[in-house]
Amino acid sequence: MDRTLHCHACQLTLPDAAPEYDGSPCPRCHATLHRRFPHALQRSAAFALAGLIMLVPANLLPVITSNLFGAAQTNTIMSGVLALYRDGLWGIALIVFVASIAVPLLKLVSLGLFFHAAWRGNSPHRRGLTRLYAFVRFIGRWSMLDVFLVAFLTGAVRFGTLASVHPEPGVIAFAAAVLLTVFATESFDSRLLWDEGANSDSAAP
Amino acid sequence: MTKPATPVVVRRRSLPLVWVVPLVAFIVGAWMIVRNSRDHGPEIIIRFQNGGGIEANKTTLEYKGVAVGSVREVALAPSLDSVLVRVQLAKDAAELARSDSQFWLVRPEIGFSGIRGLDTLLTGARIQVRPGNGGEPAKEFIALRRAPLLESNTDRGRSFILRADRLGGLTPGAPVYFREVKVGFVETHRLAPNADGVLVRLRIRKPYDQLVHADSKFWNSGGVNVKIGLFGAEIRSNSLESFVAGGVAFATPDTTGADPAADGAEFTLADEADKEWLKWKPKMPIKEATEGWETPGQAENSPNDPGA
Repeated sequence: MDRTLHCHACQLTLPDAAPEYDGSPCPRCHATLHRRFPHALQRSAAFALAGLIMLVPANLLPVITSNLFGAAQTNTIMSGVLALYRDGLWGIALIVFVASIAVPLLKLVSLGLFFHAAWRGNSPHRRGLTRLYAFVRFIGRWSMLDVFLVAFLTGAVRFGTLASVHPEPGVIAFAAAVLLTVFATESFDSRLLWDEGANSDSAAP
Repeated sequence: MTKPATPVVVRRRSLPLVWVVPLVAFIVGAWMIVRNSRDHGPEIIIRFQNGGGIEANKTTLEYKGVAVGSVREVALAPSLDSVLVRVQLAKDAAELARSDSQFWLVRPEIGFSGIRGLDTLLTGARIQVRPGNGGEPAKEFIALRRAPLLESNTDRGRSFILRADRLGGLTPGAPVYFREVKVGFVETHRLAPNADGVLVRLRIRKPYDQLVHADSKFWNSGGVNVKIGLFGAEIRSNSLESFVAGGVAFATPDTTGADPAADGAEFTLADEADKEWLKWKPKMPIKEATEGWETPGQAENSPNDPGA
């Protein structure tokens, strides 16, 4: 078994630590040492599941109501994409589709792959999965595009009866889904991909 | 004393508290979806002769000036003689889906007695509804060809019928005055059943409907009254509005009883006021709906707008 122990607080690395060190204070900064994040797999899976659940109302409920000359129009994410496409703005439609529908789904699928690999252990694709993990962490901060768009329009388009924009409950669900997938990514321990696997997280204190 | 029990070591797989998160997410998500679907009332189908200006997801159904539903789909009837419009009602408007509700399309209309539906120039047509008096729940309706003339259904005052020899320039929406205060308007008119006169229907607004008693006198106050005498000329007209659209005035005698006339009571319309009538000053308590003075526009709401 890998005997290297790394302190998350002061970055001290103990190259050959006895197993008892797991859960005891760091000799340098006294932060609690963990060989792996405790319950990383469970925590990450729980957040991912919550994010998946929140994606359902995020896509079913309307996210925005735009009011132009008294004609109100309420859109969900998908109907907004279709409306943009019909209006000939297929470039913007593509951006919204990728940022708001494709990316959250791909993130959840990737998390599923990580969980599977960490559970089974010794995945032949661990190198690729580690790279995918770095990418998923990077893309996380860009997924709030829709939320920012709605927030911006709500603030900027305020012309009384002529034109106005209101947020709808779906945008809250969408923000929650994005946030939860970010939590899921952050609480996953990518080192689990390189471990022997099988319940390695339940061996925590 | 008994000997201490042998301790039993139970190794439990601990379930981290984090699993509360998906549970909460599930509850919140389910609640959001349930609440959203509960916001919707039933769907109804309205049959229009002409669907001009009705657009799916854009045209709204309005009642009392508020959107209470929106058009989901516009389709041609299979028989090609009408247009079927599917309307999603709001949850609190579910009661509108009753068999005696009336639906009609509002388009801009400009006439002597006012401009109606001007906002539809910008927003496109909209559908208006007037609820009935609790008919059976229904799903399909046939739209009226044009806005209905108001009938006595709610707290909108009372209507009375005036019998006149000739119409005398009274148009729908013409004002009705009491002491030169506008208290109502002319709704409609038609020939008497055997063509020996004209029947004019008025509506007196609350609370002024209390002023009409069985012995009240009505006269045509429209047009101008020009008198040229030895000492000069006198021109009288109630208002510019009655000059253009015609008008009716009424008075109630001092000797009147206590009870206001019933809804739909019939009166005779005189061509002009008797001098006597103008002197009548009975004391009749008015239960004002709102305290204070008339503010401009308050009494002048466009007469036929059912949303008023």
